[in-house]
Amino acid sequence: MGLFAELRSSISRVSASLFADDSEPKRIGIYGPPNAGKTTLANRIARDWTGDAVGPESHIPHETRRARRKENVEIKRNGKTVNIDIVDTPGVTTKVDYSEFLEHDMEKDEAVRRSREATEGVAEAMHWLREDVDGVIYVLDSTEDPFTQVNTMLIGIIESRDLPVLILANKTDLGESNIQRVSNAFPQHETIPLSALEGENMDEVYEKIAEYFG
Amino acid sequence: MPHQCTNCGHVFADGSKEMLSGCPDCGGNKFQYHPGDIPDEEPPADAEPPEQEGGSVTSAVGRAANRVRDAVTSDPSQPAARTSPDEPSTNDVDPDAVTAESSGIELGDSDPAAGETAGDAGDEQVSSAESASGAEPATGSEASPGASTPPGADTTRRSDTAPGADPDPSTNSSLGADPGADAQTGVDADMAEEEDTAQADARSEVVDRNSLPDAPSEGRVVKEPDEPENRPDLEDLRSELNDQFESIRIVAPGQYELNLMELYDRQEYIIALQEDGQYVIEVPDAWETDDE
Repeated sequence: MGLFAELRSSISRVSASLFADDSEPKRIGIYGPPNAGKTTLANRIARDWTGDAVGPESHIPHETRRARRKENVEIKRNGKTVNIDIVDTPGVTTKVDYSEFLEHDMEKDEAVRRSREATEGVAEAMHWLREDVDGVIYVLDSTEDPFTQVNTMLIGIIESRDLPVLILANKTDLGESNIQRVSNAFPQHETIPLSALEGENMDEVYEKIAEYFG
Repeated sequence: MPHQCTNCGHVFADGSKEMLSGCPDCGGNKFQYHPGDIPDEEPPADAEPPEQEGGSVTSAVGRAANRVRDAVTSDPSQPAARTSPDEPSTNDVDPDAVTAESSGIELGDSDPAAGETAGDAGDEQVSSAESASGAEPATGSEASPGASTPPGADTTRRSDTAPGADPDPSTNSSLGADPGADAQTGVDADMAEEEDTAQADARSEVVDRNSLPDAPSEGRVVKEPDEPENRPDLEDLRSELNDQFESIRIVAPGQYELNLMELYDRQEYIIALQEDGQYVIEVPDAWETDDE
């Protein structure tokens, strides 16, 4: 089954690259649970190739509550140029509770508002996944258990849509990071370790982006 | 004058053959049969509802289901049950029927009789979680031939009184809807099982009795009406609906549970949550207009 999924995704990659219109950049959604480092990665990619940032990063979950887009990011790898739109999406979760923000020194009113906006953000992210992305970079915190309902469901949806997906095991700079656990969780996909914060292994990430989404 | 075009209200004499080639006025090809005369004046609200009412409710639900199905399949060319502007029961203005109709269609088509367009619903603020989830069961009914009553429709109608509507008529309408639907089923069954001489005569020119299908081909699948005393209370229904259809459940202000699959499957898009449990959705473009 894993082989089949792999075969299917490589076929869809090939056909996607065959029929791709070069003038139209692919829209690549950066998905994952809250606080996995999606915005840090989006900022890193945007800064490396355009000089701009995408949005503010924070250690408080749900900092990104609206999808943010960086258009026309041109990535050059091995003489090949890939033109993509990066969409940084709000972290996807099945539960949002304002009380988890209270421990981050936040007033209740503000925490409730953040919670509401985060919920709207999840709805928005799911809507983008349905309508508007041509490929997915799935970011996981490699210090956390990857076997969650959210991860399984999102990867399942992505597979069912035959979207090319790159799984990134982020936060390798942290001691508890466990890349093997991530690649075991999704053996049908390639897992690339990185630290978006420190910029570790970004070369391989860009190589794979060029390969998967080019 | 027992036959009546359900589209324009044109009445045909018993045994009339003109209707075999469609209504001469509007070209419609759906007719209802009245064993007696069509009542000219409004029946009292509490009396047994006339057949038209059931017809209008079920056809309203059917049109809504069709429209949702259209929107889902995104096939604008498919001529699903379109409504002509002067459609149903405008010539027989029964307050119950009208209320039932307007409250029954919560899927963006707020008033087909006025020719109002579903496309206007783009920025429409949907007044509650239930009305958004009311769209969902209809979406699920894609396989049914005409109009299976969406499981949530009745509940939605009952629990969501349109803002500003007098609660009394709306209660009447929901209560009236089910017996009305029942009456419609009864009419269909009559047509299928026993035909009078005029029908037999008209039919025999076209098709042999033995080659008739057992069930009416245009039959409507109508939900079995609940006994009023057996109806579960509103709280139970609400939580059941929440379990089935809710994409975002508001546990408390600032506490939410999200059904990701539901959010993903949904064509409309939630753009803003309100403090009081309401939310604003963006209805997709595919909710086409009915402006012809």
